[in-house]
Amino acid sequence: MITVNINGKEIKLEKPVTVLEAARSAGIKIPTLCYHEQLEKYGGCRLCLVEIEKIPRLQTACTLVVTDGMVIRTETEQVTNARRGVLEFLLINHPLDCPYCDKAGECELQDMVEKYGHTTGRFKENKRRIPENLEDPVIVRNMERCIMCTRCVRMCEGVQGASAIAVINRGGHSHIEPFSGGRYDCEYCGNCISVCPVGAIMSRMHRHSYRPWQLVSETETICPYCGVGCTLVVQVRDNVIKRVIPRLGKGVNSGLLCSRGRFGYEFVGSEERLTSPLIKKDGKLEQATWKEALDLVATRLGEIRKKYGSDSIAGIASPRCTNEDNYVFQRFMRGTIGTNNIDSTASLGYAGTLRFIENIFGGGVTANQISELSNSDLIFVAGGDPTTVNPVFGLKIRACSRNGGRLLTIGHSKGLRNFNPVELRPQLFTETVLLEGLVTALKDRKGLPGSNKKIETRIKDINISVDDVEKTSRVSGKDVEKFANLLSESVTPAIVIGRELMQSNGNSYKFLLLSAISYLINGKIYLLSERSNEQGVIDMGCAPDILPGYKSVSDSEFRKRYESVWKTAIPEKQGLSLSGMIISAKNGAIKAMYIMGENPVYNLPDSKEAEAALKNIGFLVVQDIFLSETGKIADVVLPALSWSEKEGTFTNMERRIQLLRKAVIREGKEDWRIISNISGNMGVKFNYSDAEDVFSEISSVSPLYKGLSYKEIEMGNSIYPYKGETLTGGEDIQIHKGKSITAVSRLYLRIERPLFHSGTLSRRAQALLKVYPEAVARISPLTAEAYSLKNGDKVKVSTKKGFLELPVAIDDGLENSVVALTNNFEGKGAFSLIEYTIDTVTNAPVIEGIEVSIEKGGG
Amino acid sequence: MLSEAVIKELEEIRQRYPNARAALLPAIYIAQREFGWLSPEAYEAVSDILGVPKTIARGVATFYAMYKHKPMGRNIVHLCTNVSCMILGAERLVDILKERYGLEPNSTTPDGRFSLVIMECIGACGTAPAMLVNTDFHDNLTQENIIQILESYK
Repeated sequence: MITVNINGKEIKLEKPVTVLEAARSAGIKIPTLCYHEQLEKYGGCRLCLVEIEKIPRLQTACTLVVTDGMVIRTETEQVTNARRGVLEFLLINHPLDCPYCDKAGECELQDMVEKYGHTTGRFKENKRRIPENLEDPVIVRNMERCIMCTRCVRMCEGVQGASAIAVINRGGHSHIEPFSGGRYDCEYCGNCISVCPVGAIMSRMHRHSYRPWQLVSETETICPYCGVGCTLVVQVRDNVIKRVIPRLGKGVNSGLLCSRGRFGYEFVGSEERLTSPLIKKDGKLEQATWKEALDLVATRLGEIRKKYGSDSIAGIASPRCTNEDNYVFQRFMRGTIGTNNIDSTASLGYAGTLRFIENIFGGGVTANQISELSNSDLIFVAGGDPTTVNPVFGLKIRACSRNGGRLLTIGHSKGLRNFNPVELRPQLFTETVLLEGLVTALKDRKGLPGSNKKIETRIKDINISVDDVEKTSRVSGKDVEKFANLLSESVTPAIVIGRELMQSNGNSYKFLLLSAISYLINGKIYLLSERSNEQGVIDMGCAPDILPGYKSVSDSEFRKRYESVWKTAIPEKQGLSLSGMIISAKNGAIKAMYIMGENPVYNLPDSKEAEAALKNIGFLVVQDIFLSETGKIADVVLPALSWSEKEGTFTNMERRIQLLRKAVIREGKEDWRIISNISGNMGVKFNYSDAEDVFSEISSVSPLYKGLSYKEIEMGNSIYPYKGETLTGGEDIQIHKGKSITAVSRLYLRIERPLFHSGTLSRRAQALLKVYPEAVARISPLTAEAYSLKNGDKVKVSTKKGFLELPVAIDDGLENSVVALTNNFEGKGAFSLIEYTIDTVTNAPVIEGIEVSIEKGGG
Repeated sequence: MLSEAVIKELEEIRQRYPNARAALLPAIYIAQREFGWLSPEAYEAVSDILGVPKTIARGVATFYAMYKHKPMGRNIVHLCTNVSCMILGAERLVDILKERYGLEPNSTTPDGRFSLVIMECIGACGTAPAMLVNTDFHDNLTQENIIQILESYK
């Protein structure tokens, strides 16, 4: 126990902390500017100077660590004089342009000067002049205002790990700049904006359009983009979102955000938003009233069901919609329509992976807390770059490396390359052998623990020597040994499974191998998740074979539970999966389809096939916030409310349930309400008053959520396992090894998931478009040389399915055998070039081994 | 692009220090020698070889006055105008350079022969005024001998 005396007050401390922390814990205020609790200590601003007995000079409270018996004074004349002096020095150069500085009102320097500073300055010299830099489309730098606290630099280097800005020059000439001196070439996380105490680094998006005190409402909600589920504060003025900021200590992100979360909100106010229902008349979509549209949908669905049976109707739910929306949607499909033909794009990889691994280890095995990642001693990343798919999750991996943990990667993880990873890069299509080799090596090192017979019988069959691995994958035996040694020595390992693996050839077998590795080293498994409610949409039973709470639709007892609440029968027969729906639509078995918040014509692999199939459907209903590619071919389009306009819950990748709150008021209906209206018109009345009401039904019926309420979620008691029953794995392990692919083509297609885009939403966010304006074809420098291409050259990228004309971007992080394309821009989606097969176990599309050719020129 | 020999030289320098950042100053100096000045490409080359972000490399280099932060002439004249040199007529020497060669502070002659950098004290107060031409030291400068000295640099 350490006892210190601050201003005459005895303070007892458990462990040696800094003087500042000790004072704050006792409620004693010491002003600071360069100090920030997320960042490394700096001691640069000198505002926190305090007097310490027996030390002749004033000391910085933020860096000095207390010792037993220390006597500290924070409010003596000497201290207040020093403080006033420091502020006077800062104001030598800091302009007094507060009247037109956006920061005024929330500026830390302004507050400090107001509280502790002189009323006048004694310096008569001119202030330094550095013109405001407006070269960047998103971030404005005003270096006259900079006080050189270097919070932004410490954030960029020490937390974000991007090192995109640094202090340039020396002394009075020093200021902060990105490498180019103008435009940023960075991850655009904007975390430098968050930590800037003055108006030196600011967002350009809402420049001069508000005063901090005019932001009438502040709403804490959850990010609409990826599966991490960051907590955001949405600030609104005149019913328009002015700004999205993180908040220190709140949520899984605790004060950090990524580019999509911070700058991607503009889609909400986009002029392209649908405002009224549309009905197709003579081949053209025309505006209609809600009554007309809802009546038409109910009547037509009723007719089709009567004529062709319930199973001629199918529904696609949305990993972007809330749990409540999805729950009501599957109730509608199962109870009102009477079919289990319901699925979502979560089945394009995430769902299959999750359920495969849960079947081995039991439910909730992937529900590991994101915050624990940074304390792991080893993280093994397989199949993709976590720093672009789930950026804030990626930061935790970077933090792990910084804390002394080892990073191991297989394949392409550009965002981790500067964090000292041990990288294994097997030849194309040979990851399986490499993983088999690792399982064999670990089995020899660790032995079988004996706790899970199901996986152990499988592990016993895997015997691939290091030499075999070297022969096939060209990864040297020494590297494999090193990799295996690191894995086996780790005490708290984590395994991260990325999207590329989820859609790879023989993915179920690869998951088995990764599960085996995890089992042998006792690791925690994390699955990357692209959509904000990808986990929730499965939890809510938007899958053809399970009800909300993960029990099979063929389980009559479980079915009865729902039937008694819904007062309708639920069919026993398993429905069609997403790919099954497309096939059935193509051959005419599906007569009507209801799509909620999804854009299959764009978001399904082989989007051309999907489009042809959907065009073949007699009656297509699309419910969305924009007139998407799918909406354009629909018979009825219903406008929904978007993320910040409604309440509900999202379940993130660690299965934490979080509340969405309404920040903007917009006329319209929530997805669940539209569906309830239609169900009512079809004679099955849903009596939900609001989203909370829907959730209370979910928690009363689903054993998984037993006893959970909005109140509990608000208190943070929504981490898995909830209070309800956990799930256990059941069936035998099925695997599908996939077809063998040998690399013959010069180039293969890879679907890239860029940091700045997600698709339909981000395309309508101006800031993200300015940073990443168009679809490109990424190739390695060597490929570029071979085809004599340079950045920006147009190329024609062709596969068996078709071609796209795109500008080239040369990326030194890519393999020479890869052309990386995105699926984010209208008319330029890579999914239109894809031919795929379906993995028979995970039901995920296999997008691997697609031969591609490039040709200079194009249109 | 750097030649194999230069890359090897940089890698050897890297080995002399406990971590990559510590090797930045000599590495940047070599890159400057190879690229002529600290162009963006020079920083990128250093960053690639040392594995230190290029922004950090630039931040470090710009702290120091004696790197070439922009393209410079064949010969660099570092002329001191600090107290002793100033008292003994250094400012007149600046004017003479302008008259004779059209050379202004922080600029380069059109033929690329000279660049002029105005220095703070170079520690030759006793024999002021003084200057450095490239790495050669010259003191006791007068309006006459400065031209003579500079004429020997082509």
